[in-house]
Amino acid sequence: MTIVREFTKGFWRENPIFRLVLGMCPTLAVTTAAINGIAMGLATTFVLICSNVVISLLRNLIPPRVRIPSFIVVIASFVTIVDLVMAGFFFQLHKTLGLFIPLIVVNCIILGRAEAFASKHPLVDSVADGFGMGFGFTLSLLVLGSIREVLGNGTLFNMPAFGPGYFPFLVMVLPPGAFITLGFLLALMNRLGGHRPS
Amino acid sequence: MDDRQFILSSSPHIHSGESTPRIMYSVGVALVPAMFMGVYLFGFRALWVMLLSVVAGMATEAGAQRMMGRKVTVSDGSAMVTGILLALNLPPPVPWWLVVVGSAIAIVIGKQIYGGLGYNPFNPALVARVILLISFPVQMTTWAKPSAALSRTVDVVTTATPLGAMKTHLLVKGTLEGFTMGELWNPFIGNIGGCIGETSVIALLIGAGFLLYRGYISWHIPLTFIGTVFIFSGIFWLINPNQHMNPVFHILTGGLMLGAFYMATDMVTSPVTYRGMMVFGAGCGAITVIIRLFGGYPEGVSYSILLMNAATPLIDRYMRPKTFGWRAVSPR
Amino acid sequence: MKDSLRLIVVLTSLCIVSAIALAKVYDLTKGPIAHQKRLEVLRAIKTVLPPYDNEPDRDMVTLPIGKDKKGEEVQGVFYRGRKSDRLIGLAFKVTSPEGYGGDIEVMVGVLPNGTVYGVEVLSHLETPGLGAKIREAKFKDRFKNRNLSSTKWAVKKDAGDIDGITGATISSRAVTKAIKEGLEFYRDHKARIVGSGQ
Repeated sequence: MTIVREFTKGFWRENPIFRLVLGMCPTLAVTTAAINGIAMGLATTFVLICSNVVISLLRNLIPPRVRIPSFIVVIASFVTIVDLVMAGFFFQLHKTLGLFIPLIVVNCIILGRAEAFASKHPLVDSVADGFGMGFGFTLSLLVLGSIREVLGNGTLFNMPAFGPGYFPFLVMVLPPGAFITLGFLLALMNRLGGHRPS
Repeated sequence: MDDRQFILSSSPHIHSGESTPRIMYSVGVALVPAMFMGVYLFGFRALWVMLLSVVAGMATEAGAQRMMGRKVTVSDGSAMVTGILLALNLPPPVPWWLVVVGSAIAIVIGKQIYGGLGYNPFNPALVARVILLISFPVQMTTWAKPSAALSRTVDVVTTATPLGAMKTHLLVKGTLEGFTMGELWNPFIGNIGGCIGETSVIALLIGAGFLLYRGYISWHIPLTFIGTVFIFSGIFWLINPNQHMNPVFHILTGGLMLGAFYMATDMVTSPVTYRGMMVFGAGCGAITVIIRLFGGYPEGVSYSILLMNAATPLIDRYMRPKTFGWRAVSPR
Repeated sequence: MKDSLRLIVVLTSLCIVSAIALAKVYDLTKGPIAHQKRLEVLRAIKTVLPPYDNEPDRDMVTLPIGKDKKGEEVQGVFYRGRKSDRLIGLAFKVTSPEGYGGDIEVMVGVLPNGTVYGVEVLSHLETPGLGAKIREAKFKDRFKNRNLSSTKWAVKKDAGDIDGITGATISSRAVTKAIKEGLEFYRDHKARIVGSGQ
């Protein structure tokens, strides 16, 4: 039962973007199109799961005083692997995401899960946590990317979403559009989640 | 015993008789000459844009306030003023949907999101104008040639704004030689390309005079704003008149008059002290000149006011008047 | 003492393992990445040259084409396209530093007589939905079949012959100027670029 709970919490209850508000850099920067959102989400998910596995296995071995450097070494290694593999086999996608792939290293979600979860929980739970958080992150980026692509470019996954008479609302694919969309989605999530300002 | 209670409150105890609706409707009245000149110069199309903008703004305000569970205050006139100001800041040939989208942005993203009138850090009409400008650059920079007669013709003869023409001339020829601003009379009455309400300097000055007389705006922001533009652009003109236009050209064209008197003076988004207002105005003027002379855009009034809006809390913090009888304290 | 020894041992071994893993992945992806990069260049050459049957990226000449801002020499690569051993076109990369968002790299293909056969935008940082339209065929085709003598190489807004993109004059201007300079270099150094005896 707990595995299911650890898996599903990332989707809504502890959604990394809309609840924990972590990992804002990729969230705001790469979500100019739905496909970029998915690619970034999946790359992060892969790193998250791998680092959770390794850190969970090593959790009794790593002395607390060097845990942060150790986590970073693990995370950075997996990010480099993702970077190289994407460059070799998904060249176009790698070109679009460019700089933001290496920046996964400093995504707080990954270090956050390593510190708050994987270093304290057994392997299976940590894997479930990695999957859940990763997919929650991917889903959130997909939603953001879709909204911005549809409004700002008039397309969804590069397919025209409207007739030819639609004038794209350009600001949505520019940086301010990321903040505006994120703000509205946060408000919506708080409304649905029954959060009231204290 | 009667149950009358003593109410204790701090000063002031006498109500000035001012209220939000009174101020807002006065601003509306002050804008009538500019609106009239807009229609006179650009035809009924301009009237249609203004009506649409005001109606859409008020409808959005009512809708947003109802949805957010706030008191509906459409009749206080603030949405109306925002609508008018936005319309005056749009080029005459804009498509109708752009006006509606802009009006809704001004009210929702410019104002209601922050908590409604009085809580917005930025001038709502300018927020909308800038978002429209970066989203629909083609529609937002297609200007109509003013035709003095009240014409209903659909055909729009496009033209460039004086500032835009200057920038193009400079880029093509590399020098301003051969570029003239024409007769001073044209920008003075508004016979130049530009936004609906920004071209006629005389109409804007009449309205501004009314607001100054009634005390709804003070001279501090407009004077420092326009003065800084004059001095700053004058310095560059003296250094190299082949690369920079003269300061008279800079203060008479573009959105400077409209911005300095009606938008930079917005009570909510400008500093509260006179000293702060002067810093605010000087900042607006400096940024405007920098954008006009060295930026990618031909005009920088909107951006300068928005940037200084962002700096307003900081200015207020450093320009806090010292309490009577106390020594000045550092803001910390 | 024992404690700090453990810190060193754990962190060091973690780094060693990670270094070995990265070396292995680098080795595995080196081939595919090089292959992808070559395909990328060939894809661009193919779109800007008439059909050829040689390998232009193996038949090329490198010449100094100018100096960058730091005063260092910039090398330009000129790819020769041949059909049945006859030279049918040349492709070369031009870079404009005057883009709105940064450098714009364009691959230009010319016939041996200096007429543009095709252009392809390789990389740019222009505003999505606006300057980014330089990638669209509609814009790129405006350079086709033009040469230095028949065309005034400037956008219409600057009294030239090239239709710029509405609302993106800076980007259009940058691309136009870069292509013009490329053509001028080709005209001035034709003998060395085409090679002797061809």
